[in-house]
Amino acid sequence: MEAPPVTVMPVTGGSINMMEYLLQGSVLDQALESLLHRLRGLCDNMEPETFIDHELVYLLKGQQGNPFILRARHSLSHPAVPWHLRYLGQPEAGDKSRHALVRNCLDVSASHSLPDFLNEMGFRLDHEFVANGHIFRRGALKVVVSKLSRVLVPGNTENTERLSLSYLVELSVLAPAGQDTVSDDMRSFAEQLKPLVHLEKIDPSKQRH
Amino acid sequence: MAGVPAVQVSIESSCEKQVQEVALDGTETYVPPLSMSQNLAKLAERIDFSQGSDSDGEGEEAVAGETRDRDWLKQEPEEEEGKKMMDNVEMKMRRRGTVKFQPSLWPWDSVRNNLRSSLTEMCVLYDVLSVVKAKRYMALDPVSQDPSAGKSPQVFQLMSKKKSLATAAQLLLKGAEKLSKSVAENLENRRQRDFNSELLRLRSQWKLRKVGDKILGDLSYRSAGSLFPHQGTFEVIKNTDLDLDKRVPGDYCPLDVQTPSDLEGSAYLKVSIQKQAPDIGDLGTVDLFRRQPRTKAGTQPWHVKLEAAQNVLLCKEIFAQLSREAVQIKSQIPHIVVKNQIISQPFPGLQLSISLCHSTGDKKNQKGSPERPKPDDHLYVLEHNLHQLMREFHKQRLSSVVMPHPASAPFGHKRLRLAGPQAYDKTEICSLQQSQGLLEKIIKQAKHIFLRSRTARTIDSLASHIEDPQIQAHWSNINDVYESSVKVLITSQGYEQICKSIQLQLNIGVEQIRVVHRDGRVVTLSHQEQELQDFLLSQMSQHQVHAVQQLAKVMGWHVLSFSNHVGLGPVESIGNASAITVASANGEYAISVRNGPESGCKVLVQFPRSHTKEQPKSEVVQDAKWTHLRGAYKEVQWSKMEGRNFVYKMELLMAALTPCP
Repeated sequence: MEAPPVTVMPVTGGSINMMEYLLQGSVLDQALESLLHRLRGLCDNMEPETFIDHELVYLLKGQQGNPFILRARHSLSHPAVPWHLRYLGQPEAGDKSRHALVRNCLDVSASHSLPDFLNEMGFRLDHEFVANGHIFRRGALKVVVSKLSRVLVPGNTENTERLSLSYLVELSVLAPAGQDTVSDDMRSFAEQLKPLVHLEKIDPSKQRH
Repeated sequence: MAGVPAVQVSIESSCEKQVQEVALDGTETYVPPLSMSQNLAKLAERIDFSQGSDSDGEGEEAVAGETRDRDWLKQEPEEEEGKKMMDNVEMKMRRRGTVKFQPSLWPWDSVRNNLRSSLTEMCVLYDVLSVVKAKRYMALDPVSQDPSAGKSPQVFQLMSKKKSLATAAQLLLKGAEKLSKSVAENLENRRQRDFNSELLRLRSQWKLRKVGDKILGDLSYRSAGSLFPHQGTFEVIKNTDLDLDKRVPGDYCPLDVQTPSDLEGSAYLKVSIQKQAPDIGDLGTVDLFRRQPRTKAGTQPWHVKLEAAQNVLLCKEIFAQLSREAVQIKSQIPHIVVKNQIISQPFPGLQLSISLCHSTGDKKNQKGSPERPKPDDHLYVLEHNLHQLMREFHKQRLSSVVMPHPASAPFGHKRLRLAGPQAYDKTEICSLQQSQGLLEKIIKQAKHIFLRSRTARTIDSLASHIEDPQIQAHWSNINDVYESSVKVLITSQGYEQICKSIQLQLNIGVEQIRVVHRDGRVVTLSHQEQELQDFLLSQMSQHQVHAVQQLAKVMGWHVLSFSNHVGLGPVESIGNASAITVASANGEYAISVRNGPESGCKVLVQFPRSHTKEQPKSEVVQDAKWTHLRGAYKEVQWSKMEGRNFVYKMELLMAALTPCP
């Protein structure tokens, strides 16, 4: 992992530049059951899986510009699987008519010593949270319905407090850059969930307070 | 009438005026009503004054009738009919009263008389009825009609009967019509219900969805992990072409399915291994038909149809996969794909052909074409394995798709994600990605099957040609698709217990046969038939010499020398000759046996010197002890020896050379 320490340069994932197409929304806890029911019907014929993940967000601040953010995530329900390190770029301004948020994405699986490694490299832990919920798939589409909880004592994932009374719904696809048909598929899928949840493209940079 | 208040009878002329004429425009002209005087005059005209009657007698009668009436009224006041009558009677009484007190009023006399007679008759009728009804004193009995009573009553009877019958018939007909209508309605309802219940049953076994006003189903294996691009859609239709009047046939089903035209009929994959390769020019569409599978009783026709279509789809998918691999895989001898046939060469001079045989229903009449004398070399095992491999492929595809953990990780192979953190090296990563295709697997299986059958044939032909020694093969029942084993024993008849030296374990693989000896030596043979045959022949020749060795032990002879591979004598084309020399217990005789796979056996007996007829006189060797030395060898004419096999002959020989105690 060779992250530029000071200047923030776009990160490209090897020869194939993968993009994440994302739509987000939320449902209240009461509506969760019906949403899950609907997703079970729409998605691939697999047993819906639940997950509990712990995500740590690291920052590397330079002299100028935005800080460099890396997200390290590991599964609490499957402790043996490798950690997942993720870099997400800024949303592409590009085409306004596109139906989904598109951003650069780089996925790396890492060993369990990832937090130490990042600390050694100069990254600082910004915040951490625990996400638990359900994951569905339909072809390349991934639907994650998760409840986010705040970690009260740093590092202790047992002691958490939920952030809100609703669930975050994310519909995402990983595809090489320039495949805009993907966003059409996503929109048609989002349409099918319409009365239950409204999935929209939400720019996280405008949400920041 | 006027002036007497008791008179209550009022008679009016009908209000209807008489119509004089009806004009063309529909207006009716009425006759003007008569005036009071005119009316009176008209009534007076109708009176016949000549008919006088004695009013007194009638009056008495009337009184008697009245009292009787009164009694009757008292007696049965509750009778219903009586009540009706009472009104009449009272009216009559009053009228009569009028008559009594005004006897001069004659114009109403005829009316009175008629009323009275009718009253009498009514009373009689009433009496008769009450008597009959009470059944205390009298009973009505049908009186036999006199047939000669006249024709007219009979005609009447006939007419009335006819009429009543007609009415009855009409009623019955009406009822029947109603019934049949309701039955038809019921049937229609049931059919409707049947369709729905059939649809429900279909729904429980096949994937269905509604598109517009159509019901479409999916018979593809996509949900099971197939990647075949065929849609595999079928349409559910309601079977309505049945005539309502006709009897419902036994196999009638209200639900029918419409499968795509390219999935109709039946299909199978024919896998065969042939010896000689035909000319490339000969290759073409192979038309082979197999009889239709008999449908199981109790299954719905749509189910049979769908299963057949699904089978066709799977066969097509397998064939498409095989053809794709045949084109992609690079091998020394390229695989040939021609129309519906894939040809590959597993071994030189041998070809494996996989063909997709798809027969649509209308081709059935051509089935009886004379091109069928060819023996059925179809390898059912391989066909089955192809299906199995395809399904395994499906399953693998489905099961490899696991949800990522943590949830943010991308979809993909779980083991590939482990590669980085666990520092896999190149070979480990390669082993993850390497997967054998369907065609490669099936070729390997075909090779194995061929090698196994050829080995079996070689052993069998050897066993049938060579009687001595005997060869036994014990095949294991449980085999792998790529490996099977056989245990080969070489024995001599009657001496199985002592001659157990040669026990071979043949492990038949894909390309070669590994032979494991009893002592652990391993020989690897190629797929060539001749190699195995030569090997077994040399083993059999060795067996004879081993047998002599064992026999010598039993007989108390001593083994002087033993060699599996003799370096002397004529060179054998197969393997080496083996030899043994044994000496009798007292050392007088020695038997020397040389056995080669090709040259056969040669048995020599060495006699003691003393037995030789002409003792060579030597000046140097004078001592008598030298006469105990064994002398010259003599060959035994083995073929002339008695005995059913080699070991028996040898036993006899040894016995003959052993001196009697």
